[in-house]
Amino acid sequence: MGQIQWVFSLIPDAVLNWMYWAIIAVGTTGMFAGWFAKFIPVYGRYLQYVKPIGIVLVILGVWLRGGYDTEMAWRAKVEEAQAKVAKAEQASQQLNTKLDQERKKKAVVRKEYITTVRDRIVKETQIIDAECKVAPAAISILNDAARNSVKKGTVTIEEVTK
Amino acid sequence: MNRLVLLTLILLTGCAGVPVAIKFPDVPKDMLIACPDLKLTPETTKLSEVLPVVVDNYGQYYNCKDTVDSWIDWYTSQKKIFDSIK
Repeated sequence: MGQIQWVFSLIPDAVLNWMYWAIIAVGTTGMFAGWFAKFIPVYGRYLQYVKPIGIVLVILGVWLRGGYDTEMAWRAKVEEAQAKVAKAEQASQQLNTKLDQERKKKAVVRKEYITTVRDRIVKETQIIDAECKVAPAAISILNDAARNSVKKGTVTIEEVTK
Repeated sequence: MNRLVLLTLILLTGCAGVPVAIKFPDVPKDMLIACPDLKLTPETTKLSEVLPVVVDNYGQYYNCKDTVDSWIDWYTSQKKIFDSIK
């Protein structure tokens, strides 16, 4: 079914519309000609073929024309949806760019701030170390606190008891 | 009955799905980098050698906080955009 739709999509809409109307027109003509043909002696011989073919063509034409309108309505909806998606993607991209710029600015400010604080430590090393001697236990506690106690993949869930 | 089934099948040929693909939004690449572990203090008795590690770890915390805040901001905004196209 997809291939048929693809072939139909290659035909310009206006041509397709005219084709369907032509089928309806030919069908209607055949149908009425079928009714009038009985009054024409020579033509009357084909009456048994003209009338049913005309009816079939009218039904086919109306079905195709109805499908055409539905197809056009769907195409309009798809175009509308695609426009919305394109707009959303653009908005999303703009948001990412803005977020990225803000993060970079913050990172620069923070790096400068940390450098300033570290410079103060260097400047005041003598004062800091003059009256303070850090015990090895303090370093051990500090490092224990800095270590991640819940490493990736080591989490265990115990059974819940009431 | 057979005619009804045939007619239904013929009419159903007019139905076709029209997919409009929505691309999953990207995220700034640096937000995908995991937070590193905190730095450990070297064995020392001098406070001046301990403080830089503490300062760096504080800085690291704020970098990670910023990343988490950015993720919240990103999610909230992207959801708003996504909801607007429904």
